[in-house]
Amino acid sequence: MGEAKKRILVVDDDQDDLKMISMILEPEGYEVVTAENGLDALQQVESKSPDLILLDVMMPELDGFAASDKLKSSPKSQGIPIVLLTGVAKQITKSKYPINGVLRAQVEEYLEKPVEPEELLRVVASFLK
Amino acid sequence: MSSRRKANCWEVMSCGHGPGSAELCPAALDVTSAGVNGGVNAGRICWTVPGTLCFGEPQGDFVDKQERCLACRFFLQVRDEEGQEFRFVKLAQGIRDADTLHARITQVESLMGIRDRLRARFNLDAVIGSLVLLLRGNPPRLHGEFTLRGRAAQVDIPFDESSAVGYAAVNDQAVNVKNPYQAPVQQDDVPFNQAFDEACHCRTDSLLAVPVHDSEGRVLGVITAANSEKGAFSQDDQWFMERYAVEVGLAVERARLLHEATAAGRMASISESLAGLSHFLKDVAHALTGTSFIIRRAVERGRMDDIKTAWEILDRHVKRLADLCKDVLTYDPERPDEICPGNLNDTVADAVSLLQAEARTRAIDLTTELGRGLNRWPHSKRGIYRCVVNLVVNSMDACPPSGGRVVVATDHRDGRAIIRVSDNGEGMDAESKGQMLETFKTGDRARGSGIGLPTVVDIVDRHGGQLEVDSELGGGSAFTIYLPRAG
Repeated sequence: MGEAKKRILVVDDDQDDLKMISMILEPEGYEVVTAENGLDALQQVESKSPDLILLDVMMPELDGFAASDKLKSSPKSQGIPIVLLTGVAKQITKSKYPINGVLRAQVEEYLEKPVEPEELLRVVASFLK
Repeated sequence: MSSRRKANCWEVMSCGHGPGSAELCPAALDVTSAGVNGGVNAGRICWTVPGTLCFGEPQGDFVDKQERCLACRFFLQVRDEEGQEFRFVKLAQGIRDADTLHARITQVESLMGIRDRLRARFNLDAVIGSLVLLLRGNPPRLHGEFTLRGRAAQVDIPFDESSAVGYAAVNDQAVNVKNPYQAPVQQDDVPFNQAFDEACHCRTDSLLAVPVHDSEGRVLGVITAANSEKGAFSQDDQWFMERYAVEVGLAVERARLLHEATAAGRMASISESLAGLSHFLKDVAHALTGTSFIIRRAVERGRMDDIKTAWEILDRHVKRLADLCKDVLTYDPERPDEICPGNLNDTVADAVSLLQAEARTRAIDLTTELGRGLNRWPHSKRGIYRCVVNLVVNSMDACPPSGGRVVVATDHRDGRAIIRVSDNGEGMDAESKGQMLETFKTGDRARGSGIGLPTVVDIVDRHGGQLEVDSELGGGSAFTIYLPRAG
């Protein structure tokens, strides 16, 4: 590949999940940087300027919804596409997050866990053409 | 409830062991009886509390002290003041579900000496077992189970006026039949059904049937007694039976409410468990799907390092799944919560250690002072664990923002184990204590989350124990559980 690698920020509080998503993405030619919570993610966005963010919803400190709200309201990061990874898509109406929280947060896409790796790669590729 | 404040035993008897005294009587501390007959704690049903400090010395339980109690001027005063509303025993307490109702009625009858009193009054030597017939089925029939001359028997009487018992239920009135075989056979046209005598090979000379109501006045069944020693049942006999019927009514109603609440609670907890389980399985499936993909692709591309790393992740999640299977196999919500001998200190220490981390984050000094001699104390491990967790959580909530201190102490005295949870919080004023007591009194278990003092009361009840609360505004609170050695 001649051009520079696309950089993806993966945000998840689970070490195994971080490792696994990285291992799915890296062999396909993406550069992966990681963050373990929402606050960490904001700093990484600042310093690493990723091309795409994969954001877990349930995290300590700042969760996925709050983090995406912050990212989308900052002029510097609002152009970066965000894909939410959530285990609670079907329960969202029951939780403190209304179903339109996803829309309000203006994330570009969300994927429900368990995430099919092929589906993940397809979605990622669609944003990073 | 009357707006006029009613006198408690310590006030009428001037024993010097009421609230605020140096040596508090168990009747003043027994919050499980709060409000019964309009009293403060057990102040107006003191005869049911073991070890009261009447007459200058600790008394025994009801069976020991009943002669004294039933002749006591305070007992007679409460009985007269309360009239139809008089509560003689707390039969409703300790009933957990409809299945244990009859066992509980029999237990309380024997504990309170009611059976002996009934036996003395009603010549019951031949009849052992419950005298209570409850309405069941559709169309409803009056159903009861008892033992007659050593043989189990069942009665099933139609809910109509063809029998004295049915007549009492249909017309909602006490029926007192004398000499049913003599002409004229009935008083006030109350019928007598000889089928029962024929089935039981006995002869009824007199019969008393008293209806049992729920709190809204609906008839639930009938209490019957046959064959008075004195030839006929007196007004006094009827009074006694009617008082007892009030207790039975409360007990039956509570059993039914609990049955419904338990069923609803079980559904809620299954649904909660499924949501939790589903989340867990999604997590594991996510990891298995991901690692499986990585390994497959690594094999295709010869990336052996990836295989090793993915395999480690896979291993961890396979183990999580295996652990879950074990948990599911050993988890049985239907398993009875058995009371059996075990180390009470271990149970208490386990519960406290669960909350140590929470206490640390809130800078609360949570300590235990465990006494000796509790190695084989009969208790439900799960039940007492929940009690201690509930009480410690309450105590931590009551602690001041800094310098909070909660002490969980165990000991035993006079054949009773003692678990005492005390805090240095703000304590309770009369109003908040009243609100807390209200939750005991209403006994509304259905609304609770399974956490809190009503749960503790239920569990302690089941052990045949007592819960006492000692609290003063500005002086902290102490909750004490007493558990008998013989449950």
